[in-house]
Amino acid sequence: MRDAYIVGAGQSSYGAFPDESYRSLFATAFEEALDSAGGISSGDVDEAVIGSLGVGGRQLGLSGPAVTEHVGLHGVPSSRIENACAASGYAVRQAVQAVKSGMADVALAGGYEVMTDMSGDVAKYWLGVSGETEWERLTGTTFSGVYAQMASAYIDEYDASPDHFSKVAVKNHANGAKNPKAHLGFECSLEDAQNAPVVADPLNLYHCCPTSDGAATVIVASEDVASTCDEAVRVAGVGAASERVGLFQRDSYTSIRSSEQAASQAYEMAGLGPDDIDFAEVHDCFAIAELLAYEDLGFCERGEAPQLLDEGVTDLDGDFPVNPSGGLKSKGHPIGATGAGQVVEAFKQLTGHADDRQISDANVGLTHNVGGSGGAAVVHVLEGGVL
Amino acid sequence: MTGIAGVGAYVPRLYLPAKAYREAWGKGGAAGVEQVAVADADEDTLTMGTEAGRRALSAAGVDADTVSHLAFATTTPPADEEEAVVRLASLLGVPSNATMRQYGGGTRAGAVALAAARDAAGPTLVVVADNPAGAPESDEAAGAGAGAAAVVLTDDGPLTVDAVGEYSDPSPGTRFRRRGSTETESIGITQYERDAYTSTVGGAVDALDADVSDVDAAALTAPDGKLPYRAARALGVSTKTIAAGTAVSQTGDTGTAGPFLGLASALDDGAESVLLVGYGGGAGATALTLSASSDVPVDAVFDGDVELSYAEALRRRGTITGEEPEGGGAYVSVPTWAQTIPQRHRLVAGRCRDCGALSFPPEGACFECGSLDGYDETRLPGTGTVEAATVIGQGGAPPEFVEQQQRSGSFPVAVVALDGPDGDAGDAGNDSVSIPAQVAHTPAETPDIGDRVEAVPRRIYEQEGVVRYGFKVVPTEARR
Repeated sequence: MRDAYIVGAGQSSYGAFPDESYRSLFATAFEEALDSAGGISSGDVDEAVIGSLGVGGRQLGLSGPAVTEHVGLHGVPSSRIENACAASGYAVRQAVQAVKSGMADVALAGGYEVMTDMSGDVAKYWLGVSGETEWERLTGTTFSGVYAQMASAYIDEYDASPDHFSKVAVKNHANGAKNPKAHLGFECSLEDAQNAPVVADPLNLYHCCPTSDGAATVIVASEDVASTCDEAVRVAGVGAASERVGLFQRDSYTSIRSSEQAASQAYEMAGLGPDDIDFAEVHDCFAIAELLAYEDLGFCERGEAPQLLDEGVTDLDGDFPVNPSGGLKSKGHPIGATGAGQVVEAFKQLTGHADDRQISDANVGLTHNVGGSGGAAVVHVLEGGVL
Repeated sequence: MTGIAGVGAYVPRLYLPAKAYREAWGKGGAAGVEQVAVADADEDTLTMGTEAGRRALSAAGVDADTVSHLAFATTTPPADEEEAVVRLASLLGVPSNATMRQYGGGTRAGAVALAAARDAAGPTLVVVADNPAGAPESDEAAGAGAGAAAVVLTDDGPLTVDAVGEYSDPSPGTRFRRRGSTETESIGITQYERDAYTSTVGGAVDALDADVSDVDAAALTAPDGKLPYRAARALGVSTKTIAAGTAVSQTGDTGTAGPFLGLASALDDGAESVLLVGYGGGAGATALTLSASSDVPVDAVFDGDVELSYAEALRRRGTITGEEPEGGGAYVSVPTWAQTIPQRHRLVAGRCRDCGALSFPPEGACFECGSLDGYDETRLPGTGTVEAATVIGQGGAPPEFVEQQQRSGSFPVAVVALDGPDGDAGDAGNDSVSIPAQVAHTPAETPDIGDRVEAVPRRIYEQEGVVRYGFKVVPTEARR
């Protein structure tokens, strides 16, 4: 199969925007992606894949065409992909498949979610929809509760404490403070993070990402098209895997098997290993998830994630920066937009457009997007400076 | 002749001291009641009845699946109309082809159910439970308790029902509940109500045509802690005999379950002969004399161990709390829920026909070997070990659990490795299956990984007016 390249990527700001709609947020993201692509116009898009969980209902059916027609991609085949928080990570993968297969020369992948325009009670109905419903949710377990259960098992099994979760928050907020599009773009002290109110023991408020409004889009193109564009980042590796939806159905509560499998596929396709990666955007919906990601993606051995945080290895100026964008914690988590948004950050880093948070000598980046508590995961390995 | 082979009783662990009511209202409360039992937000007459029924079966050494007649008596069923006895049977594991009868309409119902069950063929289980309520300022609310009891009758049970007597006389307004209301009330004319009670109770005992002066205990329906004693003279028994069969001072008014909790308590203390009288407002009474040819096994829990403040009691009872918020998002239909009733009521797991691994719920591909050959059903004992745990803080619950959380506050949720059919295999064994479960325990602390727990029957949530029953777990060390 032929290679696929990211030739443009853009996102709206993430946050709470009562004056925006899912369509206007998507339009903002699409416009930025087109601008960054230079040389590609709407008329070149052959295919569109849009990720959204559908929080709030709004346009559950035909939600792909609803946004692509809105931005003038008239007639372009467009479909929605739903894989909870991994929806648009999977949309990117689908667009890559379309290009690699030869069915499309230019494919648009994107995602959106609007999560802040409903009461707390209604939001709770929607936040729980990606847990295993019949047993997990109906014991009263929330989404944060499931990750808290994983955290309890992790602390029980390894040498870790809630302070390590707080360190994730401090690091990601420090990065997000440098990202003008971040939802919670402010710094927080370790003390702030340690003393936040408990959400689900051992996780506190600073160990949980916000719910956000936002959209992100990525333009994927063939080599022929990419060679005519201003920028191009090669999709070196793609991996994706599923896992049982309920935590209780799994063999391990301290690792996410779908992440491990997705990563190993992506590394194999890229012919690269964790040591070849310069930075990563990982799925830190809860702080424990970032620790699990370090281990599932092979950045360290099992049980060693706390050490990476203690030593500052994954800080923006560390040896191996993780979540330079601020991650889900600080940049925000508009569910359906998150996976594509990670690719937007990787594209900016690999093309030298990450401004204050630019990582020097960033040639290979990895994005890691997880659905629910691990029922789906998708990993991309992206390589800059190739064309 | 059939006789009672085992007795079970269950009183919730939460209680409100009478002084807390007095302090809140600046008035007396229920006469002769020291504390009232309070059902938790996820308890009702079905769950309490299940707890009592399981204890009675265990005391009698009778398997639920051999029971051929089940009677359920309550004045406070979960719904005004619906066969609650059917779900009680399911929760207990009584077969679908057993005869089932539900009794209500007045607090005499339990005694009527027992009188009728005398003639039933085969192992018979009679479950009585009540959870009355009253308007907050009323004597009925001050005295309202909660509890359940159950008796198992078999061909050779040692405690026989020797005589039955009945009496009734119209006395409207003495104890009643309006249609659609949850609050029991009375007209409030003291002497009129006392007379109705003593004359009907006395009349039923007269109708026994038996000398009851020598019984070890007299167990009477007890709306408060004084009325049974006022009937002593009419019955021809001593107040000591009444005391031996009365539990109301520690449980509060447990409605139709009252005399049965008195019976259980008396047998537990070694009584060999008991007069049991059920009284219902309106008014009617049924009296039974029971005598034991040998010890009657009793498995009972009478005492609460978690004291509530008055405000906490109002919350637990749902007096001052709201309802489930309007929603959207995830939804489990009643038919979908109903498909998992064997799992939720009786922990029916499955063994993979290919590799023998346990599965719960037993459906889909085997997690161990991937086989789709299906499962052979097997029941789990309900014990298990905590594998992962957290607490869902106040205000954080999913919408289905908002009302429960308003009433009971934070609740722990755990992933529990349920023991296989042979029980705890210890560290060496891996014949277990993991399930998520809410931890029903006060105070709500995060359980430690490795803690042992046991399943208990509870209301899980209510939606579309339909209560969904299932199991939660309690720490084994806190199991009463």
